[in-house]
Amino acid sequence: MRWGRRVSVVLGALAVACGGNEAPPGLHGTALPSPAEPPRAAPDQELQIGLLPERNIFRQLERYEPLAAYLSARVGRGIHLEILPRYGNVVTNFESAGLDGAFFGSFTYVLAHRRLDVDAIARPVMQNGRSTYFGVVLVRRDSGIRDAAGLRGKRFAFVDQATTAGYLLPLEFLARHGVKDYRTFLGETYFAGTHEDVIRDVLDGRADAGAAKSSVLERMAGEDPRVVSDLTFLARSPDVPENGLALRRGLPPELRARLREALLTMHEDPHGRRALESLGAVRFIETRDEDYEPVYRLAREIGLDLDRYQYDNSR
Amino acid sequence: MKTKIIVGLTIYAILFLGGGLYVLHLIGSTTNRLDNLIMLHQVEILREHYLIQIRRVQTDLALRETRFARDTDTIVSHVRSMGRVVRTCSDCHHDAATAARLEDLERRTIGYQEAISRVMTVRAGADRIRAERDNAFQVGEDLIEQVSDMIALTGARLEASTQRALASIRKTTGVLLFLLAAGPLVSIGLGFVFVRGITRPLGVLLDTTRRLSAGELDYRVPGLSDEFGQLGEAFNTMASSLREHIVGRQRAEQMAALGRLSAGLAHEIKNPLAGIKVAMEILAGEESMTEENRDVARKVRQEVVRVETLMRSFLTFARPPRPQPAEVDVDALIASSLSLYGRDPRFAPAHARPIRLVREAGSGAVAVADPAQLEQVVVNLLLNALEAMPEGGTLVVRTGADPDGMVRIEVADSGKGVPPESRERIFEPFFTTKGKGTGLGLAISRQLIEQQGGTLRVADNPGGGAVFTVRIPARTAGAESAA
Repeated sequence: MRWGRRVSVVLGALAVACGGNEAPPGLHGTALPSPAEPPRAAPDQELQIGLLPERNIFRQLERYEPLAAYLSARVGRGIHLEILPRYGNVVTNFESAGLDGAFFGSFTYVLAHRRLDVDAIARPVMQNGRSTYFGVVLVRRDSGIRDAAGLRGKRFAFVDQATTAGYLLPLEFLARHGVKDYRTFLGETYFAGTHEDVIRDVLDGRADAGAAKSSVLERMAGEDPRVVSDLTFLARSPDVPENGLALRRGLPPELRARLREALLTMHEDPHGRRALESLGAVRFIETRDEDYEPVYRLAREIGLDLDRYQYDNSR
Repeated sequence: MKTKIIVGLTIYAILFLGGGLYVLHLIGSTTNRLDNLIMLHQVEILREHYLIQIRRVQTDLALRETRFARDTDTIVSHVRSMGRVVRTCSDCHHDAATAARLEDLERRTIGYQEAISRVMTVRAGADRIRAERDNAFQVGEDLIEQVSDMIALTGARLEASTQRALASIRKTTGVLLFLLAAGPLVSIGLGFVFVRGITRPLGVLLDTTRRLSAGELDYRVPGLSDEFGQLGEAFNTMASSLREHIVGRQRAEQMAALGRLSAGLAHEIKNPLAGIKVAMEILAGEESMTEENRDVARKVRQEVVRVETLMRSFLTFARPPRPQPAEVDVDALIASSLSLYGRDPRFAPAHARPIRLVREAGSGAVAVADPAQLEQVVVNLLLNALEAMPEGGTLVVRTGADPDGMVRIEVADSGKGVPPESRERIFEPFFTTKGKGTGLGLAISRQLIEQQGGTLRVADNPGGGAVFTVRIPARTAGAESAA
């Protein structure tokens, strides 16, 4: 936890130094028509909730399982967690996987909100007291890389093309420094799939630089002191909402209300607090689409058309 | 016997309890070994199960990117199942070395999960993807090797533990068989000892009873101990009492018969004797009688007087006078008797064979008895003592009070004494060891004493000779205060 606080301080200082949090002109693009309503699950069927590989997929499941059990008990419906190996899967497979909702990352939520007709319900306030995170471009201190120019020809680890911190931020950072096409500017690029693996790859020298989210970085700092001692940051993104729960609009309003109520009050009872502790959070707070404005702005800054954006990691 | 039975049963109980406790200990120990064995089997099964899980995940890895590849959910399920098995393993071990090995195993399993996660999530060039897959596969192989080593170790421990458990079972069986054999033997042995300890004394007592019944009143229970010894003593006391009772009754019957005979004889002889005595006196006074005939008449008269005296003794013995009890100062009575008979010339130091008279200090005891009869007895004993010492000696008279409320008078001489076989007979009528006498003195003395509630016995005098002891009831405390 001490490491986590130190990283928070480092990341806080970085946020001030890098600046660039001004709100960009609004470029949300045209909303697509709502998709056809998927067949509604029978009342006694389990709710299918998707999870993103924020950390390695098995640890991610362990973090969320107590929460799922708690919510299941509160709302009287079984909840099945569906771990998705890729961020983008949560958008592309939402319907085919029969998901009723998911804990979306900020960028995946923006994409899903535009394309899938899902609404954010609540997001966690983490143990550092924040309900937002930001992305960082990170390198090892001993790499000699001090700025964007230093990244030329280097191996760069993204998380996924559907992440804010793991993709949009570094693109914006490079674009801001005159890089038109990162594929020709950087050496090898790849998508590690999780924020945790990006950080670990940079630490272990499998990549020269990478981009990841601050909340994962903080949690890893508590487990591996090298995160604080060996890493430094070239850039940070604006604050964006933590991964929150968004539900499809087709869910019965009464069930949505129960889920929302359970999330927002779970910190008031011991079982709920235990589930929050497993998640690394202290409570849930209400979340609205307006809270994702920084993501919309970042997308606009790099000229990304959310309606037509193809997040094919193989490219 | 009671003590022997208690000690025997206590030893038996201790042996039984000790044996039982030892058997319980052995059973407990064997059960623990079997528990340990079962646990090791469970561990072995768990580890083999874990090995199977790892191999399944390795297969999932190998099949990726092929047309047989399993879907993500299945792989995730397999990997998580593997993780749960290793956590189960960690939960049931406690010794430090094993816990450290399992902790290492769990850490490596988490590393394996991370490597698999990377394979599932990474999107990169073919080389990097291959490298990730090879890395995950190698981590899996290392894990398999480590678990195989642990299985081999568990197998070896299982074998050793099995041998120990079997040895323990054999030992328990042996001890149980020994106890099964020894228990009845000890029971039979103890039973034999107890039964013999009871039946042998009972046999002796039964034999004694039979012999007493057959009239052997002098037979006594020989050599018993413990409670049976006490019972034997009681038997002997009973036999003595029985003998005294029978002898007393016989003597009473004899006395009654003698009394009736004496009374008859006295009645039939008294008048003729009186006539003879008067006739002899008249004849002795006849002047015409020669001196020789007159002397015969006087001797006849003397014999008649002797017969009359004998007849009176018979009558006294047969119909003893009823005692007139009164408080008797025993010392005064002794002094009175000695004042009369102490003048006997044999007590004079100048006598050729003098008898020394010793009167030991009086006790001041007061008896309740007929004074005349008691004095008669004392005088009789003094005269007997004098006659028992024809060659001189010492005559001791002592009195005293016994704690059982009796007054004791002892007359001891230093004569030849009374042989044991004659000690009772001398109290029978007409039994005498002297050349003269009627043989009724001691019989009458005992009769007079006994009819007053006392006893008369004879015993050896420690200094030689005999000691006659009269015991008669003393004045009671109530009577004393009233007086």
